[in-house]
Amino acid sequence: MAQSRPDEFPAEETPGAECPIYEEMMHFGRAQQNQRLAVEELIKTEASYVHTIELCVLDIRAHLRQKQLPDIDLEGLFSNIDDILQVSKRFLKGLEATESQGPEQLLLISALFQEFKEEMESVYNVYCASYEQALVLVESHRKDPRLQQEIVETLNTTVSHTGASDLSFFLVMPVQRVTKYPLLLQKILENTPASDKAYFALQSAASMMLEMNTNINEYKRRKEVATKYNKVEQLTLRERLGRLNKHSIAKKTTRLSRFFMHEAGIVPKTEDKEFDYLEEKFQSLASCAAELKENIATYLDNLQVFLLSKPHECELEMEEGAAQQYRRLAGMLHRTIFPEFRRRLDQLVYQPLCSLSETLKGPQQLIRKRLDKLLDYEEIEEKKSETGNMTYDEEATMNTYLAINALLLSELPTFNHVAVQWLKQILYSLVALQRDLAKQMLQEAEIELAQLPHSHIPMPTFWKMVKDTLSQSTAQLNSFCQKFEKVTPSPMIQPLSPAEERRVLSLVSKHGPEKLYQVTSNISGSKDLDLTLQRGQIVALLHGVDTKGNTNRWLVDAGGHRGYVQAGKLQPYHLVQSQKPRMQMLVPDTGAERRRHSYTLPEGPSPQVFIAPPAFQVVAGYAFTARSPQEVSLQAGQPVTVLEPHDKKGSKEWSLVEVNGQRGYVPSSYLMMVPTQESGSWSLPAWSLPTQQT
Amino acid sequence: FSRIPFKIGQPKKQIVPKTVERDFEREYGKLQQLEDQTKKLQKDMKKSTDADVAMSKSAVRISSNLLSNPLCEQDPNFLAMVTALDTAMKRMDSFNQEKVNQIQKTVIEPLKKFSSVFPSLNMAVKRREQTLQDYKRLQSKVEKYEEKEKTGPILAKLHQAREELRPVKEDFEAKNKQLLEEMPKFYSSRIDYFEPSFESLIRAQVVYYTEMHKIFGDLTGQIDEPGLTDEQREKENEAKLSELRALSIVADD
Repeated sequence: MAQSRPDEFPAEETPGAECPIYEEMMHFGRAQQNQRLAVEELIKTEASYVHTIELCVLDIRAHLRQKQLPDIDLEGLFSNIDDILQVSKRFLKGLEATESQGPEQLLLISALFQEFKEEMESVYNVYCASYEQALVLVESHRKDPRLQQEIVETLNTTVSHTGASDLSFFLVMPVQRVTKYPLLLQKILENTPASDKAYFALQSAASMMLEMNTNINEYKRRKEVATKYNKVEQLTLRERLGRLNKHSIAKKTTRLSRFFMHEAGIVPKTEDKEFDYLEEKFQSLASCAAELKENIATYLDNLQVFLLSKPHECELEMEEGAAQQYRRLAGMLHRTIFPEFRRRLDQLVYQPLCSLSETLKGPQQLIRKRLDKLLDYEEIEEKKSETGNMTYDEEATMNTYLAINALLLSELPTFNHVAVQWLKQILYSLVALQRDLAKQMLQEAEIELAQLPHSHIPMPTFWKMVKDTLSQSTAQLNSFCQKFEKVTPSPMIQPLSPAEERRVLSLVSKHGPEKLYQVTSNISGSKDLDLTLQRGQIVALLHGVDTKGNTNRWLVDAGGHRGYVQAGKLQPYHLVQSQKPRMQMLVPDTGAERRRHSYTLPEGPSPQVFIAPPAFQVVAGYAFTARSPQEVSLQAGQPVTVLEPHDKKGSKEWSLVEVNGQRGYVPSSYLMMVPTQESGSWSLPAWSLPTQQT
Repeated sequence: FSRIPFKIGQPKKQIVPKTVERDFEREYGKLQQLEDQTKKLQKDMKKSTDADVAMSKSAVRISSNLLSNPLCEQDPNFLAMVTALDTAMKRMDSFNQEKVNQIQKTVIEPLKKFSSVFPSLNMAVKRREQTLQDYKRLQSKVEKYEEKEKTGPILAKLHQAREELRPVKEDFEAKNKQLLEEMPKFYSSRIDYFEPSFESLIRAQVVYYTEMHKIFGDLTGQIDEPGLTDEQREKENEAKLSELRALSIVADD
């Protein structure tokens, strides 16, 4: 810098044409000084900024934190100031390092800005976007007198030298600082000649800082718009109704009519191919994720049901052999392998799907809002083209649409891409889990298989072998069945009383002999149409099934009344041959009595035919001594065979009997007739000839 | 209506020795238990196979729904993976059906057949019981006459009573003997009878899981990064979630 002699040239006077260099030199000198001042300002202010932030962070926040006030939101107030501090400290260090570099300093400073731009942008994005919210918090804390008192006390304790009485004094600093960078650079640039080697670099650094600020603002705006619109509001009906007013109704009506006009083709839709493509991809992705989540949930439910039935816990008392092996295998499946599978499925497939579904909600809501705002936008555009102007509100609405649209266009591609990758990842996990399940089960099953006798036999042969074995077993079962069935049924010994016989015969004539059944044990009817029958009674089958299709309940004719009985208590009854001739002798006469005495029914078990063996036996009731050759002696209790129940003259007082191989007459009154076997509850009175009874 | 001439009483003499009765009850008891358990096993096995089929079907639904999603048209890589998964699921479903069919034939059907013997057995036991009651009654009657004064009529009745008693007693003893012989045979027949069924169950599972392991093993080789641990997978999931949450359009709550 040229020294000017104070007495020769006054400072204000610019010399004439004879000193252009001086002028330039002066000018140059001033510029250079200013430049240096500007650089110093940059560095000094940065240092002071870092210092204040450090104060904020370390002292004020720490102090407040120590107080453990429950109502204060330190996170919301201070946001990511730690990150800002970190970045700024390193930046400052870089700046201070350039001081010793002399002529290189400007270049180095420009380079430093370039280096730090991205990092700064990301930390300031976050801070500036949440700054509004921080201010809201400061206000709300101020309204709480006790909290405010605490805050003021802290400020007085820690930063009393600043005289600040409010947190916002400090909180605003980063917001201010970041806007300063382009200004500070601009100032340096102003005082740098274009010919300077650092000029270009400085210029680019300055414009970069401008760009950074623009980005920070854009980020903030988008974040605001996103936060405002990306939540699905859970409003009650009352709240929704409360929101209705003339304005909102008008707004919605306008939108709706515009929407219909779009759909009807009356008004052209604003086509945004890029957006539509992104939206389509998003919607496919959303439906895919929702469906997959639902299907996995169903699968898990079915798995749960499967684990509820435990056939292996049945106890057939088979201590050894394949049964035990099966039990072990199924036990492993139920206790360990499948529960583990289910747990991993939940953790690695279902839960992630739930998280993914949650993230879908924000964009879905924003897409809906975008459409609403687009309809508004179009409306306003139309109006603007007609009237030529718009209100402040209208402009704001248009900007909202533009912001949402820009936001979606910028973020949807990333969202779609990441979400699809995630879906794929989830599906890979699903496949891996199935493989692991198979591996574990196979391992256990092969252990058990190795202990089986036929493990080496190939499968087709094995199945054939099992089939053959089973058909043999079936034959054996049938033989058991038959053996049990042949356990002879109690012979039904009662002969029929005359009344009973008549009834049976009438049943036979009505329904046929093959329809007869005998009651094997007492039946007490419980329902309306059920019959109550005694053991031994004979009935005729009418229907082998009841009105509801139950084949165990038969409709029978009991010879007088009809009703239902349990089929299990009936067995087929066959009239015996010798009864048939009796049908012809139903004419009540004494002959009938005789018939009743002598049943010569074949005896012998046979599963189907129940023949009553000799039901009555005539015995001698008293001893009798024969007094003539026509008579025969009797001993008391001796069984006799009555040949004729009357004597030659027809008198009933004497009967011709055979006893001990001898024949002769005995007094009829000495004879007794008893049933040869137990008659049960359906017992016939012990009969004796004529009227004698005991 | 029936007229019961005698008071039905219990015989004084223990006609069936306690040991015999105890043996009978023990053997029959085991069979009753077996009946319950085979019925339960059949029911549970059916429920289990039904649930198995449902699970397999819902697995197929997972992949076939994926296949019909528009994402497949938009992303060929996605399509390839989902197609492979669908093929795998469908094949597994058909193997599962085969497995279930085998179980039906080799386990459930035999169980049904085994159970079908029990009604006959139970009927036979009932008949024995009825006969026993008859026997007791007649025995009681005989004893009653035996106690009375031996007059002519009494003797006659005693004789009759004895005559009635004899066939019933024989009948009971025949039934009792038959059942005591057959019941244990039937009971122990279960072991040989069910052995093939249990073997089949195990072999059917081996076949099924062998296929499953191969199919999904191959599929994993095709599409996945092999050898990822659960922790690694979890970390990947969390990373994706964070990436999405970082976007403004995703609401944070």
